[in-house]
Amino acid sequence: MGEVIVITSGKGGVGKTTATANIGAGLAMRGYKVALVDADIGLRNLDVVLGLENRIVYDLVDVAHGHCRLKQALIKDKRFEGLYLLPAAQTKDKTAVKPEQMKEICLQLKEEFDFVIIDCPAGIEQGFRNAIAGAEKAIVITTPEVSAVRDADRVIGLLEAAELREPKLVVNRLRPRMVRQGDMMTIEDIIDILAVDLLGVIPEDEQIIVTTNRGDTVVLMDRSRSGEAFRNITRRILGEPVPLMELERDGHFFARLRRIMGLG
Amino acid sequence: MALEPGQITVGSRVIKPEDDQTVLVERTLRSGQSVFYAGNVVILGDVNPGAQVTATGDVIVVGSLRGTVHAGAGGNEKAMVVAFRFEPTQLRIASHIARPPEGMISTGQPEVARIKDGLVTIEAYLATGERQAGGAKVTRKLAGARIENGG
Ligand SMILES: Nc1ncnc2c1ncn2[C@@H]1O[C@H](COP(=O)(O)OP(=O)(O)OP(=O)(O)O)[C@@H](O)[C@H]1O
Ligand SMILES: [Mg+2]
Repeated sequence: MGEVIVITSGKGGVGKTTATANIGAGLAMRGYKVALVDADIGLRNLDVVLGLENRIVYDLVDVAHGHCRLKQALIKDKRFEGLYLLPAAQTKDKTAVKPEQMKEICLQLKEEFDFVIIDCPAGIEQGFRNAIAGAEKAIVITTPEVSAVRDADRVIGLLEAAELREPKLVVNRLRPRMVRQGDMMTIEDIIDILAVDLLGVIPEDEQIIVTTNRGDTVVLMDRSRSGEAFRNITRRILGEPVPLMELERDGHFFARLRRIMGLG
Repeated sequence: MALEPGQITVGSRVIKPEDDQTVLVERTLRSGQSVFYAGNVVILGDVNPGAQVTATGDVIVVGSLRGTVHAGAGGNEKAMVVAFRFEPTQLRIASHIARPPEGMISTGQPEVARIKDGLVTIEAYLATGERQAGGAKVTRKLAGARIENGG
């Protein structure tokens, strides 16, 4: 039986789809069977980010309504043996699927795959409720901005109310230089408010934009800093104790972060 | 909001109070979550930005207060707000509304807010009550702490 993880944020554009693609690819790279579910119905993106758009025949809504079997809708990735995508519908809206149907689809996927990773839409309405319905664990993404952190806090509250306890946090687009200059929230500031475990920190990195536009992932790139950050996150998901890399720390707060990670 | 004595809601859930005077909320209130209670409220956790606590009596936060608190909501001018870390977004006591000055950061010590001479005033919270242990008394006044009559 696999594990169903939803990647969510509240605020839009903070990196949910990027993280879904890279964590999924990272796990597949390690030999696991992974299904990525694009729950952002009407604004599908994950297929484009993975470069699989031209292979879509059926989608999540077709599966939910019984227009096709789950297997028919799953698209095999170009690079990774064990990586599959269940694409979102582009021509329907978020009410086209019900939480019960999502639960059922996740249950089926879990039997086949080691990990089922759900790319949640922005917001806290129906699309969010659908995306979390079948999930057992949650990863919350934020950027080091007050508004993104506020939305992450709201989402953590809603996840807890839905019995998705102890979500893990990923901070995306950190700019160490701005943090040092005091112009950006520190990791410590963020953890201080959200009070959840830190799963990893991804730096701001042009390579993410370059790879995303090519339908590729950074997690494959040996020399990329963001790629290394995603590889570390993958390993932590697999239960390996990986210390935070240089850019994931901000200086004197390292000691505290080690404690949060349970390593100190 | 009309509050019946002894009634409490956390978010949309109605929770039975421990007794009809003071309720313990054993969790952190996150953005979008709120507590209303006709009595005193003790929060064993933080009140995050975007969260709100409203009580007809005192509000005590055993953690960081960064959200909005309204103590003495029925008009009790003697109500107070105590927090271990005091950085509220906005503070209301009875009909007084105050907001901390821009960039106010916590002293890191427990502090208490109450109405003094018609102003919402924050000072170090001394467990011994009003007695000052010989030293200087540090008092911080909040901006915008004018009386909002009937407001
Ligand atoms: N660490 C990063 N460095 C640079 N660019 C990034 C980084 N992370 C994400 N981006 C870029 O930010 C944009 C938004 O990312 P993404 O689509 O993953 O966000 P999202 O949370 O899925 O958005 P939505 O809420 O619209 O679904 C994309 O153009 C992506 O390439
Ligand atoms: Mg997205």
